[in-house]
Amino acid sequence: MAFYSLPPTTPSTPLLIIAVSNKRPGKWDDFAGDRGCPRLEVAMSAKFAAYANPEVLVDRAWLTEHLDDPGVRLVESNEDILLYDMGHLPNAVHIDWRRDLQHQTVRDYIDEAAFAEMCGKHGITPETTVVFYGDKSNWWACYAFWVFSLFGHQRLKVLDGGRDLWIAEGGPMTKDVPAFAKTNYPIPEKRRDDEIRAFFADTLAHSNRGLPLVDVRSLGEFRGDITHMPEYPQEGVLRGGHIPGAKSCPWKTAANDDDTFRSRAELEEIYEKGLGLKKDDDVVAYCRIGERSSHTWFVLTHLLGFQNVRNYDGSWTEWGNMVGVPVEKSAE
Amino acid sequence: MATLYPAKLEEILTLFEGLPETERREMLISFAENAGQHAPRDGEVYDLEDVRKDDECTDEVGVYLNVDDHGGVHFRVQLGPKVQTLTRAMTSVLCRGLEGSTLEEVQSVPQDFVPRIVGAELVRLRSQTVYYVLTRMKAACALYARRQVSN
Repeated sequence: MAFYSLPPTTPSTPLLIIAVSNKRPGKWDDFAGDRGCPRLEVAMSAKFAAYANPEVLVDRAWLTEHLDDPGVRLVESNEDILLYDMGHLPNAVHIDWRRDLQHQTVRDYIDEAAFAEMCGKHGITPETTVVFYGDKSNWWACYAFWVFSLFGHQRLKVLDGGRDLWIAEGGPMTKDVPAFAKTNYPIPEKRRDDEIRAFFADTLAHSNRGLPLVDVRSLGEFRGDITHMPEYPQEGVLRGGHIPGAKSCPWKTAANDDDTFRSRAELEEIYEKGLGLKKDDDVVAYCRIGERSSHTWFVLTHLLGFQNVRNYDGSWTEWGNMVGVPVEKSAE
Repeated sequence: MATLYPAKLEEILTLFEGLPETERREMLISFAENAGQHAPRDGEVYDLEDVRKDDECTDEVGVYLNVDDHGGVHFRVQLGPKVQTLTRAMTSVLCRGLEGSTLEEVQSVPQDFVPRIVGAELVRLRSQTVYYVLTRMKAACALYARRQVSN
């Protein structure tokens, strides 16, 4: 396997031992937990331990130990279309949100059969632990995580800090594209659209009932000053503003400058104290096409333990184009 | 028969058009990796420097233009670290492909060559990215020409 040189390693995150076993300390160990998810057995960083579902995050130390683990499939998902080809983590496969996760004709996600085929192509089985990472503070990694969640895949994790932190800490990279033996992933019974996804009608009803809506776009988009993200193409939205009742909380608020997720205490400050959300609230998050709000969905659901968060993936490119729907333009 | 594109750019177009999709991507990566070769160099003086951060791009891009005694243009381009791979590739393509062209030739290069290099799919997905550097180069040439007239 060919590696190219990268900057020197920096000290890894301190570990907190939370249980004891006869295995080496400072390790993670996965096995099926009560929810059918991988469960933490031995140790994790103090930061991770504070999250509601600490098993959904891994750090560099864990991943370094599992780069060649046949039970783990590393998946890179980026915004930059060619970034994977420039180099990626050893044994990582590439899943592109447009090519692999979306239906190529209808505005929708792939169906159950296509999901099974995609997983099979990458040697993924329902027992495989899939670890996502990518550029932009794991924005697209969280999007892929959410889509895998739509199909009920249980063993999902995200590399905290994503691609950039891995490189900054001197992690190995390669241009070798791995090939895994094809598997026969069973076709999921159904896509969980009714559980973690909100459609236009759901969101309109949500807004009309005054239930919590989180707009994770930039403040300029929320105010209606612009109809696209700064630095990004205008994707054909005719009206600017936000869904009535929505509160603004840009997705990046949940990420540190080094692309890692903020601590649980900081996230509680942002979402619970700042936005006034409660863990049993019925929450809908949205952005422009449902990608940035996947990040927020991940934070609320897995890091803070909210039980009922849905991602409105139609988001502003649907709402801002619908005839006759209410639009609010308040400042915050 | 005269072509629509400067000869060096036409050569690159021909190179890309003969490639299957996988090799086309590999070629784009190769061009992207070589974008640094076209960065401004210490000690060089430029006839025009246009360094800015636009909404259309994820980081600052500096376009540096020199025009030689024969009217041939020579570009250097500085790309910020967050600039996307496709923009890096197009920078490399254009710095090589437009080397020695005249101001008028650069400004009249039709944009329809871009899909021939990156493929229709990438153009569809990242239309602003693939056209951005060409737009900046044309703007630099136009500004330089205006300054020459006013002088």
